[in-house]
Amino acid sequence: MTREIQFFIFRALSFMNGQNMNMQKRFWRCHVCNDIHYGIKPPETCPTCGVKNAFVLCDRSESLNIMSDVHYAIDTSADVINAWKDFAQRSDFKLWEEEESVRTLSEGVLENMRNKGLKFCPCRITTGDREKDLKLICPCNFKSQQTWKEYGECWCGLFVKKVK
Amino acid sequence: MMTEEGKRLIWFYGRECPHCRALHPVVDKFMADTKVKIELLEVWHDEQNAQLMRKFGDAISEACGGSLGVPAFYSEKTGKAICGARINEEKLAKWAGVQA
Repeated sequence: MTREIQFFIFRALSFMNGQNMNMQKRFWRCHVCNDIHYGIKPPETCPTCGVKNAFVLCDRSESLNIMSDVHYAIDTSADVINAWKDFAQRSDFKLWEEEESVRTLSEGVLENMRNKGLKFCPCRITTGDREKDLKLICPCNFKSQQTWKEYGECWCGLFVKKVK
Repeated sequence: MMTEEGKRLIWFYGRECPHCRALHPVVDKFMADTKVKIELLEVWHDEQNAQLMRKFGDAISEACGGSLGVPAFYSEKTGKAICGARINEEKLAKWAGVQA
């Protein structure tokens, strides 16, 4: 089953249950190691400490407070590219082989982070509608795009389908 | 000479978009060969240009496969847009309504 179909079913079930998917996203805290998860439901097993059924609902301010002493930033071109490589390594796509273009894109997302507050794709443009614009953060959900279906790549060509 | 507003051929591009970078010499050559004037408007560092692009959002989004993207070419005269990494001189000519 493709990710698109899975996502469609997931959305349809959410609406059938009278839920608005975005409204239902909440913070969850692992009561063992204080891992924070943001989503409709928590992971069954905590990815950090491995304890099952460890998550409890947590409010926004408490969650942000827990994370406030974490000073971790992806704010250099090398950091961004490493994050992309790590993301691609676990999937059926790879990073574009033209290093100069990848570096340009990484500088673009950092520029957008500085100017717009989020790492938007430099080959898209924001609309001013927050919900729509959140879909433009790189990496986006590129497998739903026409360019992925036709050419096996995301809109900006950063992620390319691996040849088997 | 500037083309009258409302009749312009516009290229919306992003400074950090690698496909836009690669297209610059193609567009330059096209303009030199055909004597057609295309106005270049950068959209990530100029909010006025971004707003203009959003104004033509329906046509451009459709050409870009659903969302606003760059490189995007829009004709104020015909309302026609083309978009994406695979634009070449032939596609530009068809869009601009001239011989390549």
